[in-house]
Amino acid sequence: MKRARRRTSRPRRRSRAPQPGPGAVSAHEVPPDVQAFLDRLQHELADARDEIAGRPRPNREDGLLVAMARVLESGRRALSWESLGRLQSALYFAWHSERTDEFGFDPVFAATIDPLFQFLYSVWWRVEASGIEHVPADGPALLVTNHSGVLPYDGAMVKLALHHHHPQQRECRMLMLDMFALLPFLAPLLTRHGEVRANPDNAERLLRRGALVGVFPEGIKGVGKSFHERYRLARFGRGGFVRIALRTGAPIVPCAVVGAEEIHPVFAHADWVGRPFGFPYFPLTPTFPWLGALGLLPLPSKWSIDFGEPFVLDEYGPEAAEDPIVVNRISEEVRTAVQAMIDSRLARRRSVWFG
Amino acid sequence: MRGGRISAGGGRRRIALTGAASYLGSRLLRRLVEQWGADHVVVIDVARPPASARRVRHHLVDLTLPAADRRLVDVLREEEVDTLVHAAFHTDPRRDAAYSHELESIGTLGVLAACAAAGVSHVVQRSFTAVYGARGQNPNFLTEDDPLRPDESFPWIRDKAEAEQHAAAFARRYPDMKVTVLRLAPLIGPGVHTFYTRLFSHRVVRVVMGYDPLLQLLHPEDALAAFDAAVERRRGGVFNVVPKDSLTLLTILHLAQKLTLPVPHPLAYALADASWAAGLGEAPGGFIDYVRFLCVADGERARAELGFEARHGSREALMSYLAYRYPGRYPGSPARPTTATAAMAEKETA
Repeated sequence: MKRARRRTSRPRRRSRAPQPGPGAVSAHEVPPDVQAFLDRLQHELADARDEIAGRPRPNREDGLLVAMARVLESGRRALSWESLGRLQSALYFAWHSERTDEFGFDPVFAATIDPLFQFLYSVWWRVEASGIEHVPADGPALLVTNHSGVLPYDGAMVKLALHHHHPQQRECRMLMLDMFALLPFLAPLLTRHGEVRANPDNAERLLRRGALVGVFPEGIKGVGKSFHERYRLARFGRGGFVRIALRTGAPIVPCAVVGAEEIHPVFAHADWVGRPFGFPYFPLTPTFPWLGALGLLPLPSKWSIDFGEPFVLDEYGPEAAEDPIVVNRISEEVRTAVQAMIDSRLARRRSVWFG
Repeated sequence: MRGGRISAGGGRRRIALTGAASYLGSRLLRRLVEQWGADHVVVIDVARPPASARRVRHHLVDLTLPAADRRLVDVLREEEVDTLVHAAFHTDPRRDAAYSHELESIGTLGVLAACAAAGVSHVVQRSFTAVYGARGQNPNFLTEDDPLRPDESFPWIRDKAEAEQHAAAFARRYPDMKVTVLRLAPLIGPGVHTFYTRLFSHRVVRVVMGYDPLLQLLHPEDALAAFDAAVERRRGGVFNVVPKDSLTLLTILHLAQKLTLPVPHPLAYALADASWAAGLGEAPGGFIDYVRFLCVADGERARAELGFEARHGSREALMSYLAYRYPGRYPGSPARPTTATAAMAEKETA
């Protein structure tokens, strides 16, 4: 190895020796191969300086392969995992906010999908709201509403009605059934829209902060109602909402939604189909599941939302919440009030589609 | 502060610390030494304390050995310890689950038994909010009174829940010994390296399709403040130590500008288990529950009884971690330190 190197270096050394010539031999004269090396070094240094300073590099003759490799390299750099991640994050934050409240409400997301609900409210279902003055201007209140229509559109519409017609534009937090709160896809959507899982702790936490909270005491029995019993209220749970109202001192405002019953008329149940997918019921409607995704389109019935006289429970103390007889009686009174509001609205209504 | 502070009881405190070699433990040690003086802090660990705490006395006790409790009683008596901070827990899931079980469940049993025998009056035990277990039916805010329902088939959290059961049993059996359990939300902040912070260095992060739970990320400074409050107040009981607010999983990943890949949940468990078994994954399938369902705790009791209130939110904790780990990559984080080439380029343009 050593010997070989020595042998190759010998001729170089010989060439480096100044050639005796007619001109004066200057000490500055550099042999041509060293000069070439220095030139190349200088060239590369200039290139490097240009690159650091961000100046465009002078066009040098490169082979086709090198040019192609350059293009591929720059493309690869633009398509790095990092830049894809940045792109995805920018797309995500275009319609989601970076902060949510403690229950997961995302104001930017709600504002993004609001136009859809606005369309449903004013064009599709032509919602008519009355009695909005019964909803207190401030302070906690519990809105008790009937539930129907398979998918929880009624909650969104009550929310919009309050936002549109209430002088204070009160925001209402709807308590959603566990069934919806546990469904993949729908649950994060509803949470971001401001719905809160229905449990007494959540309701109390919100009411103690002076929020307006909406509940559907019929629960799962309400949403999955068959068409023939559509206007009859189901049992109001076990009166949990009354206990919450008693404990927090919030008034109960009855609210009746008429029209949601017809958006998905359920004529039969095939619950065994939905069970493996985690759906507690599987309704059969004239359009679903026969038309596939189109069957999810709600029918354009005419809606009305009525708010009734509030029940002020000041005469009972918080300790009444432990008395099942009192709780049951108040629960029954509220149920009767909502049923009466539905019945009076039905008596005035001439057409399902035009009101 | 060098001479040590006088405790409420009038005498000088003597504080023992286990698990001082861990991230939280080493910072806790520094904090205790600052507050009470090196003479008043004793380290009980298999690893030597860090060089910054050389003046602290160190006793080598391996909690996984059968005679650990007897040795511990001797140490606690000899040092006249009155407060023990038990922080010897694994934050990361271990492939050697049997060792974790010996250290966390059986080791805690030994520590508590030794404390009771040596007359230690106050034990502060580190725990995790994950012991509540992530379940679909969880309330939005878990309180200390809610039952612990961890996944029984998941050793990482089962051992921690068992350690808490031991603590509760000893608190009942020895009313003179106060046991404070601090359930800490997952830590994130400068210097933290755990299995979940390693996810931020992955190119693509798998998420469970159709789920986006709220998560709490606790800044280490808040965790240390909670330990301070617990040692100071000497109040027995269980306390959640949580940040000011929470973030959803997707918000966290997108704030970190990570590429996410949604995976249907049956597949997510299988993938996580398979890659864990192959030695590739960061955590086994049991963790999928924690990115699928809520496990958010309420810090009201710590505020009322310990006077502890978190100063940082989850977002601040996350951003402080990202700024520390990836300087210059995220908006708002301090710029990357200028290198020689960058300085040269500046000179060129100037």
